[in-house]
Amino acid sequence: MSPDFSSLVHWILFLPLGAALFIALFLRRAGAVAAWLSTGVAFAIAGLALRLLTAAPGDTRWHVELAKLGDISLGFGYLIDANARLMLFVVSFVAAWIHLFSVGYMKEDPARGRFFAGLSIFMFSILGIVVADNLLMTFIFWELVGFSSYMLIAHYFDKDFAAAASKKAFIVNRVGDLGFILGIAMCLSLYGTLDFAALKDHAAAAKTIPAAVGALLMCGFLGKSAQFPLHVWLTDAMAGPTPVSALIHAATMVAAGVYFMARVSFLLAPEVLDFIAISGAGMAALAGLCALAQTDIKKSLAYSTLAHLGIMGCAIGLGHPELALMHMAMHAFFKATLFLGAGSVIHGCHHEQDMLKMGGLLKKMPLTAATFIAATLSNCAVPFLAGWYSKDAIIEAAWHDGHFAIFAFLSLAALATCLYSGRMLRLVFLGEANSEEASHAHESPWTMTLPLVVLGLVYSVAGGFLASTLLPAGSLQPIKPALDAIAFHLTAPSTIVGLVSLVVGLLGALKFYGSVRGADALQVISPRTYHLLEHRWMDGLYRWYVDAVQRRVSEFIAFLDLLLINGVAVRWIGGGVPAVLGYLTGRSFHRGQTRAYALWIVIGSLFLAWFLIAR
Amino acid sequence: MENTSLAHHLILAGLLFVLGLTGVLVRRNLLVVYMCLELMLAATTLAMVAFSRFAHKMDGAVFVFFVITVAAAEVAVGLALIVALYRRRGTIQSDALNTLRD
Repeated sequence: MSPDFSSLVHWILFLPLGAALFIALFLRRAGAVAAWLSTGVAFAIAGLALRLLTAAPGDTRWHVELAKLGDISLGFGYLIDANARLMLFVVSFVAAWIHLFSVGYMKEDPARGRFFAGLSIFMFSILGIVVADNLLMTFIFWELVGFSSYMLIAHYFDKDFAAAASKKAFIVNRVGDLGFILGIAMCLSLYGTLDFAALKDHAAAAKTIPAAVGALLMCGFLGKSAQFPLHVWLTDAMAGPTPVSALIHAATMVAAGVYFMARVSFLLAPEVLDFIAISGAGMAALAGLCALAQTDIKKSLAYSTLAHLGIMGCAIGLGHPELALMHMAMHAFFKATLFLGAGSVIHGCHHEQDMLKMGGLLKKMPLTAATFIAATLSNCAVPFLAGWYSKDAIIEAAWHDGHFAIFAFLSLAALATCLYSGRMLRLVFLGEANSEEASHAHESPWTMTLPLVVLGLVYSVAGGFLASTLLPAGSLQPIKPALDAIAFHLTAPSTIVGLVSLVVGLLGALKFYGSVRGADALQVISPRTYHLLEHRWMDGLYRWYVDAVQRRVSEFIAFLDLLLINGVAVRWIGGGVPAVLGYLTGRSFHRGQTRAYALWIVIGSLFLAWFLIAR
Repeated sequence: MENTSLAHHLILAGLLFVLGLTGVLVRRNLLVVYMCLELMLAATTLAMVAFSRFAHKMDGAVFVFFVITVAAAEVAVGLALIVALYRRRGTIQSDALNTLRD
């Protein structure tokens, strides 16, 4: 009998909901109180999640039925396995420090109450996805996450670009979710249950799983994790405040799709896995290169996130969901640090986001610079830093399983990662200040630097070490075999690729981008290549589709509506019948005589009475 | 009381009701129409108190008190409306009040 942690999970799940409601009801105007309440709750959850992570192993199941429709049971419940514990810890730990960072970052913001209520409701939603034991509950929290993401991207809703970006994120996610809900319906009709454990039994019993189930469920993943071709919303989502970008659009929400795919990996047919692997690897390489053509520091990081999400997707496609989860955890730590570092830089440079206008910040913001550089090196998979453990393992897995095309794409992604990381370091922290703002930059307050130090130095650097040795092996079941699987010797293909791209990419970029001052070296040397990478081809495709295809179809449907519903049904039938009847009888009924109306009432009442009695 | 039955009461109530109804239908003066309406209400109240009496329960009789009270309030409102109508239009002939016909 495994220990029961359901009461602990109750607390983890409902504390943030309570905080969000309390802030929304009472603390809308008391921003400072709201900030500390939300942050306190986040730290409390992180503590509880750590307690859960280090507790005795074993799955916790808890379920309450909400409705029964025929044979179908719809319920609310928890399935806390090793993956869920890891995810709970990663999400809540990263989120707690991001909350603390937000206290400093949002200090001047008049709508702090709304912001922190949004963060708390987001915590509730994402934790709901993590603990959910059935598809329907996952879907409900999935939508809640979408809502809170929408709300937080639109924090500066009076700015047009923020309002447009939030709408875009919401709509693109709806496209994916349509597939998701169809997938749920298909599971229901095929297996008659939505429960993960029961579905797993069905999948194990059946010899083959219809590819459509996995393909439809994958659509939700494509939207939420910003995978090709639904990746277009993520870079625009950077319109939100930087802590939101760090929490939702780098560390946790986009990783929820990966987590969900790992959770239902038994429902994915081989064809679906192949698709995820190839598109993920392709996207990883492309997005990494696109990051080279962004001057906005947050957008460049967003492309980096896309690349890493591609790598995670690829790991799932290769059939190693545990590696994907491990990379998700490592990525959450160092990418949150990178985004928070970017936030600190933006804050220090008086809300300047253009990297070309920064420079020389190493001396002015030493703590931020140190953590940012550490996280960047982890991002580049420097050996024995967090990113190295997971990313190299995935590249190694691709080689080991004989997927050489995927291996090539991932190697290109690794090289691109080093290139844009080097570029970022060179432009932001080295050289001379390129603008008034950057020359007057100042280090951020402790609420912002402490999270950077904790997340950045402790976890980016020592994450892999901690993961493999310090914590009890039982709570890290999903990671342990993956760690053991990595070949720790110099001749392994992944090690060679990693080291070569590290030396060539990082040093090359540092030198290359030092050659031109106040402008992007690539743009100066080869404007055409730069444009090729900067241009948003998929956005163009979608615009063409909406303008040329969807609008034509909807105009045709509108025409049918005008003709059939408005014309035939309403004008002719709905208008014609009363007109004819009125012409025949109407004038004798409607004479404006009260007595005549009274007579009709009497006649009607008598008729009704006759009808009731005769029955 | 021995030689009166429920039927007697109901017949009386029915006669009063039809009398009121006829008045509502044929008279043109709104004040008279309104009096006839009250007669109809009184007829139904009578029927109700009769039912209550012959069922040997007091519920209906108590209820009738409420009906009478509410009817009194309603009469006040209705008469006030008729007075207001007369002041504004100078007539309370129902056939003249047909502005909403078209």
